Amino acid sequence: MRAKDRVLDAIDVETFLVCEHEEDARTVALALAADMGLRQADIVFVEWRGLGARVRIRAYVHRPGDRYGWMHEREGGDGVGGQEGPAGTA
Amino acid sequence: MAAKKVLLAPLDPVHDVGLKLVKRALERAGHTTILLQPDLSVDEIVQRAVEEEVHSVLVGRTLGYNVPEVLARLVDVMEAAGLRGRVQLGVGGMAIRPELAAELGYDRGFGPGTSPEEAVAFVEGRAPVVAEVMSSRDKGDLTSGYSYRVHDPGLAKTLDAIARDTIEWATARTSPAVERGRIRRELINSAIALGYGRMSPEDHATLRQELLDQYLGHCDRQIQGFYRRGERVARTRPLSGVEVAALEQLVARTSGPAQLKPLRHGRTRPLVFVQYGTGCPFMDIAHIHVAESWGADGVVHFDPSWAARREGLMEGYHTHEQDGSLLTYENLSRTSASRQASTLWQVRAHRGLNTPETVVLAAAAGADLTKVNIAYGSLGAGTDPERLAVDGVECMRLSAEAGMAFDVVTNEELCGVPAHKAFAGMLIGAAMAVRLGARPILQPLFCLSPDVMINGQMDDNFVDYNAAKVMALRRIMDAPIWPGAPIGFLTHTEDRVQSATTTALHAALASSLDVDAISIASTDEAYSGGAIAGGSRVDTLRATAEAFRFFGRTTIAPSPRAEEWAAQLVEGVANVLGAVLSRGSFVAALYEGILGSPEDGAYPGRAGRGTVWLR
Repeated sequence: MRAKDRVLDAIDVETFLVCEHEEDARTVALALAADMGLRQADIVFVEWRGLGARVRIRAYVHRPGDRYGWMHEREGGDGVGGQEGPAGTA
Repeated sequence: MAAKKVLLAPLDPVHDVGLKLVKRALERAGHTTILLQPDLSVDEIVQRAVEEEVHSVLVGRTLGYNVPEVLARLVDVMEAAGLRGRVQLGVGGMAIRPELAAELGYDRGFGPGTSPEEAVAFVEGRAPVVAEVMSSRDKGDLTSGYSYRVHDPGLAKTLDAIARDTIEWATARTSPAVERGRIRRELINSAIALGYGRMSPEDHATLRQELLDQYLGHCDRQIQGFYRRGERVARTRPLSGVEVAALEQLVARTSGPAQLKPLRHGRTRPLVFVQYGTGCPFMDIAHIHVAESWGADGVVHFDPSWAARREGLMEGYHTHEQDGSLLTYENLSRTSASRQASTLWQVRAHRGLNTPETVVLAAAAGADLTKVNIAYGSLGAGTDPERLAVDGVECMRLSAEAGMAFDVVTNEELCGVPAHKAFAGMLIGAAMAVRLGARPILQPLFCLSPDVMINGQMDDNFVDYNAAKVMALRRIMDAPIWPGAPIGFLTHTEDRVQSATTTALHAALASSLDVDAISIASTDEAYSGGAIAGGSRVDTLRATAEAFRFFGRTTIAPSPRAEEWAAQLVEGVANVLGAVLSRGSFVAALYEGILGSPEDGAYPGRAGRGTVWLR
């Protein structure tokens, strides 16, 4: 069981990057996310002032409708996301 | 419990207030304390511990440098003095991480945010009593104590005449949605009868087929395809049997006793609502649980905007890959079952082509509240005014019958409609509801609306105009007020800190104005790159709790401009209502822009046009 499976939905990384301008901050932020192994990262917020930028990077571990690792681990079964057919209706 | 002797020693050049709070708590609990002066050496501290024959030594460290070295040396000297194993050793303060303390051999480490009670419990060898956490709370009723009296007799007469005529007009008509609402109720009742053994499976199957045939006669082709041929509606997916079983397990886990953090400080209102609608029932339940645990009093279900343009609703357990969670009895009933008994639950029926059926489903699934507004749904949300007037009256009737209160939201302000016109539409809705025996709640927006941006009412501050709105409504009608939705609409940015702060400040203003409830956003309100994250809900709930703590029972004083604007709003509302009455038809007034015109930014919706017929 990976610790990442316990993430409800997203991992946010907040930091201050020393950089030249906002575009530079975006490039560095995404490179940082890649270095940290965060896939399909997005920049939620960036604000550049002089020395550098305050930035928040986000990578979703579980998006709505995904197979949730936290359900899988907690229930100890096959988890959710199976496709053997629709459930009944009331 | 025998009294203990406790040595309290700061490992800093100056005193940390934390040790003084712990000293006071220990003494209140009947223990003896010795608080040493700051800046003593480790050897001096241990020497006093030996001399005083203490039971416990609690040291504090606030400064962050050399922490491991200083703490390790204390343990070594205690060991050398023969105290280890005989004397409890604890450490706390801003610089302390419990895991570091444990690693160094301390019996307990207390990090930032530790309460004095936790230190007392440590000394007494027991589990701490966590006073700030509740296991349950009372469920609030937003409408109790209100008379719905319109204070000005002339305005009361005007509103009553418009409400009476509109109800009479709508009652003579029906629509596909009204018919589907009736059939859905029969479908649910037949399923219940089957479940309780009051109907045989054969009879139920026959009746269900009959009702479904009727139902599908009022649906569009996509919904017909779903029922008749099992066609999947775009962007949706049925949950598998395994998923439904897992959903049941999640419901069982989240519906049990929870630790609920109180949000308000010294006040009983406003109740705080959080909006959810991740698309997935699992994630919705998780978000509701997070919201409850961090103090939310209620949650609001958001459905997908595209679904509101369909004639008909699906059945079964379904997930949706975009924002908005599908309205089905199965989805709703599981969501409802997962919440704490004290959590208020609202399912919205304020726009689109399925509003009466939504109210039926909400009531059947146990919702406490719904949302109805003919003016907004038809001027700002794309539904034909005539259609929504017929459907809206039916929604009010069904809500009254089910005992569900509803808010009358004024989101047309977000399109650019000035507040006085939006209020006029809201008050007509409220007056109709009262005539039908329902319990409406007025929902003015606390927002930086386009009209306000153009006319500058919030150029100086966000207090005066929002206060003026509440003051104006109170001058018109004795009714509950629930600003939303969410408060601070259009003031949020993608910055987490700014977003939490603006929510908290608007919450503080709402609290100061003593309104009944508020809806708050998450700090992801302005982020459009993905789903709202659970943690972002905690951000605004924590910020709101902090604002409530900061202001307590004190109030924020608006400037005299608020009074002036309130008077202008009341006058503007009266003028608009007079114009609606003169026109002789609320529905015609909607089409003709009296309650919000294309110049304002409001356009009569087209969805469902021409689908109303006389009964």
